[in-house]
Amino acid sequence: MQMVERRGASANGDARPGDSEPAFLKLEGITKQYGTYTAVDNLHLDLPRGKLLGLLGPSGCGKTTTLRMIAGLLSVSGGQIKVGGDDIAQKPPHKRDIGLVFQNYALFPHMTVAENVAFGLEMRGVAKSEIATRVEEALEMVRLPGYGTRKPKEMSGGQQQRVSLARALVIRPRILLLDEPLSNLDAKLRDEMRVEIREIQQRLSITTVFVTHDQVEALTMCDCVGVMSGGKLAQLGSPEDIYERPANLFVADFVGRANALEGKIEDVDTVRFGDGVYKCDTHGARNGKATIVIRPHRVHVTPNRDRTLVSVMTNSVHGRVLRVTYIGDVVQYDIDTGTHVLKAEVHTASGGHAFAAGEKVLCEWKPQDMLVFAGGGQ
Amino acid sequence: MNQTVDALSQRAGQRRFPLIALVLLVPMAIINLVAFVLPVLRLGQISFMESRSGGVLTGNYSTESYIGFLTDRFSLDLIGNSLFLSLSVTFITLCCAYPIALFLHRVSPRWRNVLFVVTVSPLLVSSVVRTYGWMVILGEQGFVNGLLMSSGLISSPLRLVNNWMGVTIGLVEVLIPYMALSLIAGFGRLDVNLEEAAASLGANAWTRFRRVVFPLTLPGVALGCLLCFVLSISSFITPKLLGGGRVFLLATEIYDQAVIQLEWPKAAATSVIVLVIFGLALAFYSRVVRRFE
Ligand SMILES: Nc1ncnc2c1ncn2[C@@H]1O[C@H](COP(=O)(O)OP(=O)(O)OP(=O)(O)O)[C@@H](O)[C@H]1O
Ligand SMILES: [Mg+2]
Repeated sequence: MQMVERRGASANGDARPGDSEPAFLKLEGITKQYGTYTAVDNLHLDLPRGKLLGLLGPSGCGKTTTLRMIAGLLSVSGGQIKVGGDDIAQKPPHKRDIGLVFQNYALFPHMTVAENVAFGLEMRGVAKSEIATRVEEALEMVRLPGYGTRKPKEMSGGQQQRVSLARALVIRPRILLLDEPLSNLDAKLRDEMRVEIREIQQRLSITTVFVTHDQVEALTMCDCVGVMSGGKLAQLGSPEDIYERPANLFVADFVGRANALEGKIEDVDTVRFGDGVYKCDTHGARNGKATIVIRPHRVHVTPNRDRTLVSVMTNSVHGRVLRVTYIGDVVQYDIDTGTHVLKAEVHTASGGHAFAAGEKVLCEWKPQDMLVFAGGGQ
Repeated sequence: MNQTVDALSQRAGQRRFPLIALVLLVPMAIINLVAFVLPVLRLGQISFMESRSGGVLTGNYSTESYIGFLTDRFSLDLIGNSLFLSLSVTFITLCCAYPIALFLHRVSPRWRNVLFVVTVSPLLVSSVVRTYGWMVILGEQGFVNGLLMSSGLISSPLRLVNNWMGVTIGLVEVLIPYMALSLIAGFGRLDVNLEEAAASLGANAWTRFRRVVFPLTLPGVALGCLLCFVLSISSFITPKLLGGGRVFLLATEIYDQAVIQLEWPKAAATSVIVLVIFGLALAFYSRVVRRFE
């Protein structure tokens, strides 16, 4: 998909969270090239101390590459990585003081859980007696007290992931990096660990970068979210910014579900698509093609009636239900408006009105729920 | 529907499995029985027999061969020599093969197969031929001495062959492919992520090797050492040719006893003692391996 910049919002996000706070982790134009292929392209990013950044993006967009460059496991082809002011881009990984949690846990299989957690402390020459207490503290923090004598393979995936977290945190690193730490866990455990990681991160107030391709994870856990695409940062902002005010069509489409409709801008507050004219904010554009994004759950589906009847919604279109997909908490309707197929999502309720395929309905939405990206997509 | 089919074929498979397995095992079992188990039993039997001069077995049983061997100073030296040679050869082979195996484990898959074939390719040439090759290379007028003399580093040729040095060099070269194969087979637990994790926790390259890489390769090291120890203590041709009659080992002694002195019971008793050493090595190996489990 072609990127379409929205007017008024730059790619790096002018609504950057914590603009006033100084950046603790600062990526200044880091680039990674594999031969002629650029995996990470001139990436700039600021993260204030104690914040949790979620790096979100489709597979192959360079998330892991970025993380590994911060950790020092990959050399940078260019740019600077600053932590608390000093450039660490050329330091070897063992001198960076960065905690790392891998997707596959990477626990040392020949050591017990306690030895795994103690490893980083030994490397720092911490006294034996202090190591013992700190290891026990760390295991308590991840709710695994007394598991120290076990071997990693005697533990479940979730427990191993916690040990791996304890091992990374016990050294009190300046920065914590997590690469899809939850993707090997089942859905329920993932929810639990999400809350736990966030809690620990906030309690220790540790600057953290969390790589994920799960947008729920990114939106629910993180102080700010960086959406990556093709080695570039498509947008950096708070979860709300990313979701409600996506900087470009890519972000709008990638984060959350979206109806992307081709249309035309008629005036600063009017667009046209299909047979209809709709009220919205075009961010100053007066004419030209545009791609209009409407979130499915912001479309209200009501029984068919006259459009002119009073409603709080300003925009509406008649349609016929094509398909009904029952998901559990929501029902998804594909609605044929004659010129477009509009997706709508409605929360299920025990007594709520459910529409059947073939039924005529009226779809309504508010002007502020239309995101207009001037330029058009395809 | 699919499930039923699967279940059916699974049950049928289970019922057929023991029979097929037995049938397939029979040829190997027969070969092993005839060519290995029976001869070893017969060897044990002969080791307890008496023989007259000329090698004729009398048919009387006694433990004389064992007592004779174990009370003889020269024979005990043989055991010592053989153990020392095998252990040192095993250690040197390990040191030579370990970097090769580690490299093969890490190299990209595209190169791995090619390099793997290169590593084991010496096995395509008989060890007799390779041993003769070493005689040519290490001899007084050989390649190594020629090079050293012409460069002026030494004035008279080094004695590299017909002694322990020659046997050690020859055996190490013969055994490197076996060691490398065993090492690679035992490197399964080595994962580059573990080294990266260690690095992120503050371990430098040497500490990563000492604390993470080496411990994880121990199963391969144990396997390779067992194999090379057993192969070198029972090796005959290389010590015979490169030792030049000056290197006395258990295997060469068994040959002399059986073929030159025609003392079959003695040769059999010596062989049984080598077998016991094998057994001890194996027991030690399984104890070591159990610790990694
Ligand atoms: N060693 C390499 N040589 C060449 N290209 C590579 C190498 N490693 C990664 N790449 C490429 O760099 C790009 C970014 O890879 P990266 O692993 O960072 O993706 P990612 O965002 O983490 O994806 P995923 O969500 O699938 O983990 C990919 O297109 C990948 O093909
Ligand atoms: Mg990745």
